[in-house]
This record gives sequence, structure tokens and C-alpha cells, in this order.
Amino acid sequence: MACVYIPVQNSEEEVRVALDQLPRDASDILDILKAEQAPLDLWLIIAREYFKQGKIEQFRQILEEGSSPEIDEYYADVRYERIAILNALGAYYSYLGKIETKQREKEEHFILATQYYNKASRIDMHEPSTWVGKGQLLLAKGEVEQAFAAFKIVLEGDRDNVPALLGQACVEFNRGRYSDSLELYKRALQVYPDCPGAVRLGIGLCRYRLGQLEKARLAFQRVLQLDPENVEALVALAIMDLQANEAHGIQKGMDKMRRAFEIYPYCAMALNYLANHFFFTGQHFLVEQLTETALAVTNHGPTKSHSYYNLARSYHSKGDYEKAGYYYMQSIKEINKPHEFVFPYYGLGQVKLKSGDFRSALSNFEKVLEVYPDNCETMKALGHIFVQLGQIEKALEFMRKATKIDPRDAQAFVDLGELLISSDSGAALDALKTARSLMEKGGQAVPVEVLNNIGVLHFEREEFELALESFNKALGDGIWVTLTGNKPKSYVIEASASILDYKDMQLFHRFEEDGYSVELPWNKVTVVFNLARLHEQLHNTGTANLLYRLILFKYPDYIDAYLRLAAIAKARNNLQLSIELVNEALKVNDKCPNALSMLGELELKNDDWVKAKETFRSASDATDGKDSYAILSLGNWNYFAAIRNEKRNPKLEATHLEKAKELYTRVLVQHTANLYAANGAGVVLAEKGHFDVSKDIFTQVQEAASGSVFVQMPDVWINLAHVFFAQGNFALAVKMYQNCLRKFYYNTDSQILLYLARTHYEAEQWQECKKTLLRAIHLAPSNYTLRFDAGVAMQKFSTSTLQKEKRTADEVRSTVAELENAVRIFSQLSAASNLHLHGFDEKKINTHVEYCKHLLEAAKVHREAAEREEQQNRQKQEAARQLALAEEARRKAEEQRKHLLEKRKQEDELKRLQQAEEHFKRVQEQWKSSNPASKRRDRSEIDDEEGGHSEKRRRKGGKRRKKDKNKSRYERDDEGAEMVDDREELEDEDANMNYRESADQMNDQDDENGEKAQDLLAAAGLEDSDVEDEGAAPSSAGGRRRRAWSESDDDEPAQRGTESSPVRENSAELQDSDGEIREDNSKLNGGAALDDDED
Amino acid sequence: MSKSMKLAGLKSVENAHDESVWAATWVPGTTTRPSLLLTGSLDETVKLWSPDELDLVRTNTGHCLGVVSVAAHPSGVIAASASLDSLVRVFDVDTNATIATLEAPPSEVWQMQFDPKGTTLAVAGGGSASIKLWDTATWRLVATLSIPRPEGPKPSDKSSSKKFVLSVAWSPDGRRLACGSMDGTISVFDVARAKFLHHLEGHHMPVRSLVFSPEPDSRRLYSASDDGHVHIYDAEGKALIGAMSGHASWVLSVDVSPDGEALATGSSDKTVRLWDFKMRAAIQTMSNHTDQVWAVAFRRDGGGRLASVSDDKSISLYHCS
Repeated sequence: MACVYIPVQNSEEEVRVALDQLPRDASDILDILKAEQAPLDLWLIIAREYFKQGKIEQFRQILEEGSSPEIDEYYADVRYERIAILNALGAYYSYLGKIETKQREKEEHFILATQYYNKASRIDMHEPSTWVGKGQLLLAKGEVEQAFAAFKIVLEGDRDNVPALLGQACVEFNRGRYSDSLELYKRALQVYPDCPGAVRLGIGLCRYRLGQLEKARLAFQRVLQLDPENVEALVALAIMDLQANEAHGIQKGMDKMRRAFEIYPYCAMALNYLANHFFFTGQHFLVEQLTETALAVTNHGPTKSHSYYNLARSYHSKGDYEKAGYYYMQSIKEINKPHEFVFPYYGLGQVKLKSGDFRSALSNFEKVLEVYPDNCETMKALGHIFVQLGQIEKALEFMRKATKIDPRDAQAFVDLGELLISSDSGAALDALKTARSLMEKGGQAVPVEVLNNIGVLHFEREEFELALESFNKALGDGIWVTLTGNKPKSYVIEASASILDYKDMQLFHRFEEDGYSVELPWNKVTVVFNLARLHEQLHNTGTANLLYRLILFKYPDYIDAYLRLAAIAKARNNLQLSIELVNEALKVNDKCPNALSMLGELELKNDDWVKAKETFRSASDATDGKDSYAILSLGNWNYFAAIRNEKRNPKLEATHLEKAKELYTRVLVQHTANLYAANGAGVVLAEKGHFDVSKDIFTQVQEAASGSVFVQMPDVWINLAHVFFAQGNFALAVKMYQNCLRKFYYNTDSQILLYLARTHYEAEQWQECKKTLLRAIHLAPSNYTLRFDAGVAMQKFSTSTLQKEKRTADEVRSTVAELENAVRIFSQLSAASNLHLHGFDEKKINTHVEYCKHLLEAAKVHREAAEREEQQNRQKQEAARQLALAEEARRKAEEQRKHLLEKRKQEDELKRLQQAEEHFKRVQEQWKSSNPASKRRDRSEIDDEEGGHSEKRRRKGGKRRKKDKNKSRYERDDEGAEMVDDREELEDEDANMNYRESADQMNDQDDENGEKAQDLLAAAGLEDSDVEDEGAAPSSAGGRRRRAWSESDDDEPAQRGTESSPVRENSAELQDSDGEIREDNSKLNGGAALDDDED
Repeated sequence: MSKSMKLAGLKSVENAHDESVWAATWVPGTTTRPSLLLTGSLDETVKLWSPDELDLVRTNTGHCLGVVSVAAHPSGVIAASASLDSLVRVFDVDTNATIATLEAPPSEVWQMQFDPKGTTLAVAGGGSASIKLWDTATWRLVATLSIPRPEGPKPSDKSSSKKFVLSVAWSPDGRRLACGSMDGTISVFDVARAKFLHHLEGHHMPVRSLVFSPEPDSRRLYSASDDGHVHIYDAEGKALIGAMSGHASWVLSVDVSPDGEALATGSSDKTVRLWDFKMRAAIQTMSNHTDQVWAVAFRRDGGGRLASVSDDKSISLYHCS
């Protein structure tokens, strides 16, 4: 056992002091030392021994005594030992100052240390150990440059002064010059190979900083070999293990960290790392305790920042965003630049995002991006913020960049895809599909929302098979498979038969009885709904119906399912059931604007105008006038109101039109891209005669409406065709009507056929007109108006044929046949009107019947005439043939004569010859004069006839207006004239009855014309029927026609109803699911951000 | 599941008529010739075609306005055709001699069908809301089966046009007649007592075609409607027992295979579909037509043939196995 011997003064004896048996009270030793005037180095040895044994008080007592003025005086010439004592005290107080956390005490310690060193310097200002001590004091105070100067002084005197080398190495380390620092440590080690482990610790740290991780690890391990309890080395090795980022390494790292903590529980770094670990294991209580200790024991900014960060994260993950935000802020306060420690910015950004403070979230994330310009998570976060701020373009930019930087980040593709859904469905689909395949490759389950959105996008692009696949994948296994599968249970079939009984939930109870579990998880409701929509689109109405019912069975408040069932019923024209279903929806929410709008349409379809208007109003009110659909419906209502009135009241019409325009415009102001509002505005403009503008609008709407299965706008095609028609461009109008019919209606819409027929009529293509009408009748047999129109077309065809200058007998014959048909049609209508089968005025039809009969008789006359003419032509041809025969005979005779002459006598008498010739000439002349004469006579007869005819026509035509109004047209005796007269009248009448109103609707045809026509009619004695026509009798042909028109326009909202409501629902669904995903995102982001921290 | 029927296209005649072909039926074979396909068109003609080659046998003229329906007597000797001008022409199939011209003004004429024994011709009477029965021996109108009008203060024009009768079908035993109306109701009559029995409900849009299933399921009635669905009714029990969806537009025509195992439909969606009613689903879709398919008809006397006619002016023949 080590011991010291204190020489007893004036003797050879010594006092033996066993160092491990030093008295508890230092005064005992001090007394001996003083009494024996022991050499100062003994004092120092004993003091150091006390220190080593942790008896700090005794250590201090001896050294303070050993540096007291008496000692100075007594040992005045023992300089080195005195300096050593002072330096030991200086070092002691430096250490106290260094570990003291309270600022005032800390400073007090440093002052004391400084005083001791200064005192030492006064004894010998060149003593290197004093300078070394001073340097270390300065380092402890953080005055790195001054420390450098102090160590330099020592090293200038002695290059190999180990403490100075170590000090200087520390200085260089603090300055960030790790390789210089490393060199100094190495030199120290060379000079003094047995120096304590701390030197190797320095080497390890330098190498670590220089990235030489393996060498660093070796250095730390060496330190631990020398000093198994070296906390710093343990912590350093632990950190390196943790950073290896593999389960085994982390386990090892944490073991070391724990050991370090057991050895010395106040190492802030170890505490932080432990806290970090417990954060991930979810032991938040430990996190807080450890972090608070760490904060108490350190003043080191970065370490404190880390501690605050740990604390903040802990609160963050517990959902205490307020506290989390506060500690993130604290953490940020401890750092000078984001580059030092950027994570708290990320955390703060997230907290701000959560609390909806997008601006400050934005600035925090931007700081993160400054440090890590390629960080995907940050970009995604920024993307989300820009979405929230409405800057979609910027959001897209970040999302695109994120996917480019990490093309394997499925979540980034999901985010990008969702952003693109509204703007570019194709790109959205690509992004989502990429995300899906990334997840599949990674063995990750693809979220239901992603598959749902992929399905919807395929759906929208009419890729129904792919949509179906995606929805089925999203749904996986469940009761819906039994409902949609190929091998249904017999009672499923029974249930699908009772499509009308939506309330029948027996099916599902039977499923339950049969041991099926009838479950529908909440996150799959939307998908089931979309799947049902898809089946609807594929015309599997029965399946769709069952799926909607399944939704309602589990979620009786799911309004959209009611509305779709109502739409199905409506499409099948079961209005009563449809209304019932909408009312079910309204029972769930009596302010649901979609349900109210639909109810309004149904009421309109039921011809319940007043109710419909009220319903539309309440739909609009329910959304504070923000629901475009409700406003549009009101706009449409006003438009129909403007044009439906049989008694056209110009004032009322203008008011309604103006109101309609105002409403459409209101929608357009809110949503500039609303196609339906634009279409409506176009219609109003067309009503006012601005065809060019409206044509432009319609064309644009038509273009915009193509490309999505959810936007079906046949109306705009019809409107365009109407404009073409109004502008007289019949060929284009025909084409447009035909395309519309084919594209949207499978050629089944008789109303469009009627428009088409009317266009043919105006273009005077009678046969096409008739054929078109016959097709329309075939489609809509109970629409007697069409028959009437067909009759009129045939009548018109006949008159126009008879009017022709030249016509063949065949033409006239077909005219007669056509007239017979017309008579038959009108007669049938007339007979049917007795039975109230249709709303025609009997008198009017009879007029037509009579007229056609007369026309027919006249036509028969014409036919006879034509046939006569034909006969005459035949006779003429016969005559000409005979003439030719005679000519031939003459030629032959001549030849014969010549032959005869030759034969008889070539030198016959000239006279005889002349005589013979004269005779022949006479014969010839006789021929000539007889034939042409008869021909001429014939011709003049015809001329006479025609001349008289046309003369009469003119005459009568001129007279007509003056004639007695009350005189029946048919009383006249002159048949020919009558025919012509009547023809004109009826033409006017036709134009008036059948086509004026309709044309008016589009083009406000010159009132003059209309009035003129009316005058003519009045003049012609058709007053009565016209009065009825224009008047209250809604059953008149005109009225019917007009009704037909407005009915067709009625279809507009109906179309909008069926087509647009699914869109709305769908988009709503999409938005919902977006929302869900977005939430998931932020959660995931949170997780990901935390992962980052391990760096 | 028993082996299901399958269709294979055999032959198509483009421009079989100058205009849309609206009606088709098979005329049974006689001792002197095989059965023939009879078609009617908007071009005002009725044509007869050989059963396998679809060679044109004869073109009958004489109708004004489009031909909307054709019917063949079970003997195969006579047939009837009807046009939009509401005239029915009864003619000898082999000579084209006119046997009778029928009209019952103001009643229009839509579908027609001879009863299974061939003693009566039933004609859907359009706006008269009735079926007209003509005796095939005397060609006299023997009965009018009227759909009872809904009770109300006065028959408004609205309700009567709804009862417009479009389609008619005899039950295989000849005891029942069913007719389909514009408003979607189907009415069933007891022929012997000339009595209305009941309505079959479920459709709310025009029912353009009806057919009874052959024995032994002869209570079953199949209906085709503009609502895109085919319904299966128990015509006696007044019950809707099944509904089949799949067509994208109006179902214009329905016919049942001679063995009663399958259904064929023609639709405005341009397709011909073959259905299995055990599955309640279409098992085959033929898309060779380019416009609405107005009629489908199974050949009754063997050979396994289905014919379809369309607005695209063509006729198609399929083999069914």
C-alpha cells in the first residue's frame, strides 16, 4: 500500500502516513505537516490523494492552507511547489466553474480560478503548467482564441508539453479544424504513450468528425479498454451504433447508452439519446424526465435545442400541439441558423399546419427546404400547404419535384395524383397507378382510397372494365361479392326482381340467417356506392339497386343512395316511386340541396310548376344561394316559364328571360367554367336573336363537354342545331340533329326527329320530311301531332308538285297517292278526335280533310290532264314514227323509181321524167302540209289551256283579299282556281300553325311576317280556327306543338338532373375520400419526419 | 347448369330493304316448301326470304306508309302485314293474292298475332286501347277486348294516350291474351269470356313486345320495354318474378326459344342479346347491326335459327345451338 513519510523535524525519524488511511479530518494531517514543516510536495501529494478519494473538502482545505500567506513567507524560495499548489486550486475551480450550471456561481468559480493562476504567474510568469491551466480555464469559459494564445506560449517553450498539446488540440477541435486537432492529439500520444484515455477520446472525436468512422470506433474502444467507465467514449460508441440504423446496432447502442447513464446520469447527450429512444418506444413519461434532466445539466445550445426538440416531439405525438409548438420554438431559439439543427423547424411547420396557420407553416418548411433542398417530405408538406392556400400550380410543382427526386415514394405519387384529379385526370390516373404499383411491389397494401380514386378516374374515362377491377380490388371480399357475383343465391334473384321495393331489407336478414356476415366497413361505403354507380352505367340496374340497398341497410342516413335509387326510378319513368325516395332522403336531411333539386325536377316533370319553383327556391336557400345547381334550376324554370305560355305575353316573357339570364350569370360569376350556366346563357341570347354569340357559346360548351362520361350535354347539340336552323343553314342543322340523336339517344328521341323533320320541311325536302315523321310516329305512336304533321307534309308535297311547271304523269300519280294518304291520316285523326284520343280541334282537321279531298279531286283532274298529255305525247311519238316510216317509204320509193328508171330506160324521155317528178313533189307536199298542221293545233290548245290557267290564277290571287271573308272557300265553282287559292292559304296556315311558334322560339321571326300571315288568314276566312289556335284552346295543334317544344325543353333540367347529379355526388365522394387521405397523409408525414430525426 | 344456348352469325343481308326494317316473323313451312322469313319495312314493302340463304323470294307491295308489323298463320299458308296507315292486308303466302283488307277505324294497327290454332287474328289497336279480334274464316271483326279506363270524372286525353296498345301476345293454349301499352302496363284477358282479367305492373314506359313462354311454363310472360328492362311475369298469378337489365336503351323486341330455355332481345342500343333466365343475365351480345334492332324471331319448326332486323336496312340470321 502506498504511503508517504513525513520527516520529523530535527530527527532521523519519519511519520508514515498510509495514503488509504488518511484521517477523515484533514486538520490532523495539516497539524503534522505544519508542525514538521514538511516539504510542500508532500502537501500536494496528500491533497491529491484526498481528491482521488473524493474528499473534495479535505483536498481544498489542505491546498488552501498550503497557499496561505504564512506558507508563502515560510517557503518563499520553494517556488515550484507553491506554483503547483496554486495551479491545482486553479484547475479545481476551473472544473467547478465548468460543471456549475448556475450562471452566478459559475462566474464566481472562474474568478477564483483566475485569481489562483494569476498568483502562480506572479511567482514565475514563465511556468508552463500555469499557462496550461490558464488555457484550460479560458477553454472552459469558451474564450477559445485566448486559450489558443496561452497554449501557444507553452508550446513555443516546449513543443512536447503534453497538457499544452492536448489543450491546443481541444482549441482546434472547437474551431472546427479537426485534422489539425487530430495531429496535435497524435503528437501528444507519441510524446506520452501512456497518457489517459481522454487523449484517445479526442482522437476518436476528430476522426468521427472527419468521417473516419471505423478509426473513430477503434479509438473509442481503446479508451474504454483503458477506462471502462469513460462516459464520453461510451456515449460516442453508442451514438455510432445507433447511427448504423439496424436493429442489432440500435440494441447495442442503447445498452451502451444505458451503461453511460448508470455511470454518470448527468451527461446531457446521453440523456437526449435515451429520450430519443424512449420516444420511439412510446414511453413519453421517460422522455420528459430525461429531457428535463438534460436541460438542467447543460448550457450547451445545440444540446439544449435537441432536448427541447425531444420534448416537443413527445407532446406532438401525444397530440398536445400547443405545448409541442412552444417547445419547438424553444428548440429553435437555442440555434443560430437552421443549418445547425433543422428538425424543430419541420416539427413547428407541422404543428402550424395542424392548427391551420398555413403562412407560418410555409415559412418553417421553406427553412427546412433551404437546408435539405431535396427533401421529399418537406416538398410534400409544402405541396399540401399550397393546396390549402389555393395555389394549385405551386402545389403541383412541389409534388412533381418530390416524385422526381424519389420515384419510389408511393405516397408522393398518391398526393400528386389527388392534386391532379380536378385538373388533369389522365395525369392523375398515371400518378395513382404508379403509386399503386410501387405499393404492390413493396408488398404494401394499397389503400382503399387510392384504388377507389383509380376506379373513379377509369370510370370517368369510360374504361369501365378497369374501373370495375379497381373497385373490386378496393373492396376485397365481403357481402357485396355475393350480391354482384356470377352465382347469386336464389333469393338474390328474387330480391333483384323487386326492384321497386327499395324498403325490402329481407334479403339482408336472410343473408344473416344463412350465416353470411352483412358488414360494410365505413371506409368502403364510398367504394360500394361508386361500384353501384358503375353498374348503373353498365345498365346492370338490378345489381346497382342491391348495392344501394345494402348501403341503406347499414347506413340508413346515406342520402346519396336514396337519390340514386330515385334517379333509377326516374329513368324508368316511375315518378311516384322516385318522389317517395327523394322524400326518404329529405327525412334524413330536409335541407339537402341535392334532394330538393331533384324533387323540383320531378315536380316539373309532373307539370307542377308552382311547387317546383318553391322547391328550387328552398334548395337555393338551403345553401345560402351558393349551390350553382339550385340557381341553375331556378334559371331554367324562368326560361321555361318565359316560353311555355301559350298566350305569349311579351312583357312576362321578357321578365322571365331577364330573370333567367340573371340567374345563369350569377352562376357563371361564381363558377366561370359551369357548362350548364353557359348553355343557359347561350339559350337566352339566342332567344334575343344574338345568334352569332350564342353559336360561339354553344360551340365552346360542346367542346368542353366532350371527354367525360359524367358530362352528357345533348342539349347543347340541339341548341347549336337550332341556331343553324334559325340562320337558314339547314344542311348543318340536319347534321347536328342527326349526330345528337345518334350520339345521345340511340336514335330513339322522337322530339329531335320532329326538329329534323321541320328542318327538312323548311328546306323543302318533302320526302325526307315525311320519312322522318314516319320514323317519329313509329317511335312515339301515341303522339298524334306527328301524324298531323305527316299529313301536312304530304299535303305540302302534293301542292308543290302540282305547282311545278313541268311534271310527269308519274309525279302526279304519286301526288295523288300521297294525297290519298293525307286524306286517310286526317280522316283518322278526325274520327279519333270524337273519342278524345288527342287534343286536336275536330273542325280544323275536317278543314284539312276537306281541303285534301278537294286537292285530291283537282289532282285527279291534273292526273287526267297529265295522262292525256302523256297520251298525246304518245300519239305525237306515234305520228313522228309514222312520219319517219313515210320518209323511209319515200326514200325507198325513190330508190325504186330510180331503179325502175334505170331498168326501164336510161334514155327515156326527159318530159316523162319531169312529169313523174312533179307528181311526186305534189305527193310530198301533201304529206308535209297535213302533219305539221295538226301538230300546231295541238300545241295551241295546250298553250291556251295553260295561259288561261295562269291568268285565272293571277286574277283570283289578286281578288282573293277583297273577297267576302265569310264566304266558304269551297263554294267556289272554279275548281282550278280554288285549288290554287286554297293552296296558298293553307300554306300560310301551315307556316303559322306548325312552324311559326317553334321558329319564333329560336329566332323571334319577324313579327311582321307573323302578323301578315295572320292577316292573310283572317282575310281567308280561317279566323275562327285561328282564334282558337292563338286563344285559350290548349288542345289546338299549335298549342300541342308548342307544348311539345316546351316539353322538350323540360327535358333539359331532367337531363341535367340525371346526368349531373351523379357527377356532383361523385365529386363529393371524391372530395370526401381526399379529405380522408389528406389526414392520413399528415399522419404519415409526421411519422416520416420523426424517422428523419435519426440522422 | 345445363349447357346454355349460343348464337353464331350465319348470314347478313345488307340493304335487304330500301329503308329501315321494322318487322319480322317466320312463316311456318308447308308440304310444298320450307318455312320463310317475312319482313316489313318503312319502304312500304313486305319481303319473303328463303330460310337459310336469305334469298329474296318475293316482294309484296301495296302498303302505304311504313309496314309496322307482320304475322304468319300457324298453317304457313296465309300471313298478314300492317302499316302506319292502319290497314291490315291478309294475303296468300305463295301467290300474294290479297285475301282480305282489314280496318277498324279509328283504331290504329300495331302488333298482330294469330292464335295458336289459327282461328283468330289478334291486332293491337293503338289509341282505341283495345285488342281487335278477327275471325280468320270470315275475316269479320268478332270481338274488341278493351282495357278498362281508369275511373275518373272524364277520360282525359292524357290517360287514354297512355293506354295506347302497342303489343299483343297469345298464351300457348290460346286461352289468354296479353297486351302492352304506352304507359307500361300490361293487360291480361280471358279470351273465351272476352273479359279483362288484370294488369301486370312494373314498367312505366312503353311495352313494345310481349311473348309467352311455351309449355310447360306457359304462365310465364316476357315483356320488353323502353325502360331498358325485360320483365318476367306470372301472367296468371299477377306477379313480377324477375327483371333483367343490361340493354343500354329501349328493348324493342323479345322472343323466346322454341324449347323455352333462352330469350332473345333486340334493342335501340343496336345489339341483339341472348339471355339465360336462370342467371337473369345476358349470356351473349351480338353487335353486328349498326342501328336499332326492331325485331328478333326464333324459327319455330326446328333448324335452330334466329333472325333480327334493324333500322340499318339489314337482316341478320344466326344459328343457335
